[in-house]
Amino acid sequence: MASLLDPLGLLRDLAEGTEQLGRALVGQERIRLAVTGLTRAGKTVFLTSLVANLLAAGRGSRTLPALEAAAGGRLRAVRLVPAGVESVPRFDVHAHLAALAQDPPAWPDRTEDLSTLELTLELERRSLFGGMLGTRSVTLELLDYPGEWLLDLPMLGQDFAAWSAETLARLRMPERLPATRDFLAFVDALPADVPEEEALARRGHALYRDALRACRDRLGFRFLQPGRALNPGPRGEAPLLWFFPLPHPRGGGLAALLARRHAAYVAEQRDRFFDPFFRRFQRQAVLVDVLGALHAGEAAFADTAEALGAIARAMGEGNGLLARLLGLATTRVAFAATKADHVPARQREALTALLGHLVHAPQAGAAAAGATTAVHALAAIRCTEDDVATLEGRPVAAVRGVLLQEGRSAKVYPGEVPMSPPQPGFWRHAYFEMPAFRPPRLDPAGTSGVPHLGLDALLAWLIGDLL
Amino acid sequence: MSDAPPPGSHRGDAATGAAPPGPRVILDEQGRAAPRLDFGWEQAVVPVAPPPAPRRWSGLGRLAAGAGVLVLGLSALDAANFVAAQFERGAALGWVTLGVVLAGFGLIASAGWAEMRGLLRLRSVDRARAAFARGDLEAARTEVIRWAAGVEEAAAIQPALREARSLEELRGLLSAPLRSLESQASTLGRNAAVQAFSVTAISPSPGLDALVFAWRGVRLVRQVAALHGIRPGIAATAALLRRTLFDAATVAATDIAVDAAARALLTNPLLEKVAGEAAAGAVAARRMLRLARAAAEACRVFPPG
Repeated sequence: MASLLDPLGLLRDLAEGTEQLGRALVGQERIRLAVTGLTRAGKTVFLTSLVANLLAAGRGSRTLPALEAAAGGRLRAVRLVPAGVESVPRFDVHAHLAALAQDPPAWPDRTEDLSTLELTLELERRSLFGGMLGTRSVTLELLDYPGEWLLDLPMLGQDFAAWSAETLARLRMPERLPATRDFLAFVDALPADVPEEEALARRGHALYRDALRACRDRLGFRFLQPGRALNPGPRGEAPLLWFFPLPHPRGGGLAALLARRHAAYVAEQRDRFFDPFFRRFQRQAVLVDVLGALHAGEAAFADTAEALGAIARAMGEGNGLLARLLGLATTRVAFAATKADHVPARQREALTALLGHLVHAPQAGAAAAGATTAVHALAAIRCTEDDVATLEGRPVAAVRGVLLQEGRSAKVYPGEVPMSPPQPGFWRHAYFEMPAFRPPRLDPAGTSGVPHLGLDALLAWLIGDLL
Repeated sequence: MSDAPPPGSHRGDAATGAAPPGPRVILDEQGRAAPRLDFGWEQAVVPVAPPPAPRRWSGLGRLAAGAGVLVLGLSALDAANFVAAQFERGAALGWVTLGVVLAGFGLIASAGWAEMRGLLRLRSVDRARAAFARGDLEAARTEVIRWAAGVEEAAAIQPALREARSLEELRGLLSAPLRSLESQASTLGRNAAVQAFSVTAISPSPGLDALVFAWRGVRLVRQVAALHGIRPGIAATAALLRRTLFDAATVAATDIAVDAAARALLTNPLLEKVAGEAAAGAVAARRMLRLARAAAEACRVFPPG
């Protein structure tokens, strides 16, 4: 996003690049790890597991063997960076762990606000000569945020007219009509020169917000904008949110009012969220609930792919030549299918392959911007074990876990996970909602970390070269 | 086992004919609450003694070691030949030459030993911090007892440290001497700040400012390290400076902003000169205070927070 047209951004990049170089020279690197993912992809649980397992690994527990191997057994300690005078809330890993360990357990609620945390990894140096200078440290900067807000990223480059046209086209898709019919009837009935009337703006926004919520909660769609209409954050709804797409977006009256609010919203999201936190990062983990998208149906699956592509395009714009020269560009992007414990072990390979197809466009975009990419499958907290179920007289591989609500043990047969985008016949089994499982028995203090699947392999690939 | 509808919506799974079965939930027949799964995780990840990290000679290390061997080895050989030649000329001359050579090499060896001791003390702090971080009571106790032996404020608590039964007890016992050391480090920082302020305000050139600031900063770091019983040599000072450098530099951006604001507000040339220099002095003083705090944190036997 920095260019010669943005001298302040350029200066910031130069200062940041110099600082990075200096830190690398004295062995005190600082790495911003952007964990991105659509809503319900599992970002909060991923961060909780990552922090708990890294802290445990720093105490000597073998919670992340692949990362330990990548570090050559030189990881000596991991600690949370003490709180300073930050104005952003601190990611409360201990509260999340305690909620998961309590009886009955509770998964983290929908994330409503930003929170950050920094971890310092202390490592022995590789060489004898360097060892005389003491340990090296790598500080990982982490951020948690509502996934809905990430979908505002593609809005940064659009004006109200372009956004309206694109959004209305999506809302008119037949699969979304059950949720969007009322709103579409309202906006289609508005004349082109409708006057600036606040009551109309409020009514239109309320209908639009309800349509977005229904799309998300009932139909499993993810590409829904603006993010704060669905998740307004801790400050609640503000007048700048009261806009919605119009079929006649140009001109005065109501269209001008909504265009002003759209512009103000985009500017605020840029200043308060994207510029401070997503402008520059060196490593990125893109979390995708592939199974959720697969079970939500063909349209929701395609919608997830489109949303991921749009976010990746918007994020890739910052990886220009200057950023690469200054060492600020994103150099590794890992795409990870979360909740991999919801399928038996023999299907996880298929899950990874399917994710590869789903993120083909973002992966190609990241590679073109100079980043190395990889595809993984993981469960940040493993909640099931493999089992066998009998369906229609045939044994099938299934998983067994304890259901969150009922507290009863259950086997779940997740269906066949295809290795490539499913054929039309596959969607006959769509609209299945995977039940939530209880987490396994956990130590509330997280002394030994938490059970996971594949988190260590992901971290080893993502940050192993820095250790 | 019995097939049951899933908790969530489950439309479109009317699988008929030869179509493969769709996803489904099969509840346990027993119908009673089940205990949470237990993967035996705590036993699976139980800490084991970390394997010694493989160390290799870096290019720089080999270069330095090679240069050292050449300089010292050839000098020693040359000196030995010279002593032998002197003995051939006369016994008295030989003994005097031998004494000079031994004194010279002895001083070099003692300087090397002092450097090594400074570095080893710093490594001991690293080991103690790592032991606290991984919750290893035995290693932490051994290291803090060793540390306490070299620090006047902590010498008296060595017997209590030996008896400590948990890391919390160790932390509690060490908190009083560490508070005292931090207060002394702050005093040292304030003294350095006053000196930096005065020198910056009266010095004729910015180049001299930087030189004085650097010298006073290095001295301050060594003073704070000495408080913690480290008594660093050149190599240990470099290692300490490396650790404190970036912590102290984090205030640099604020300093620049304060400096620019102070200069922008003043238009009178004389006022600008006086206040501008004072602002620069204030910035230098604040950096010294920060440096003292950062150095004290780098030398603590367990990290703050």
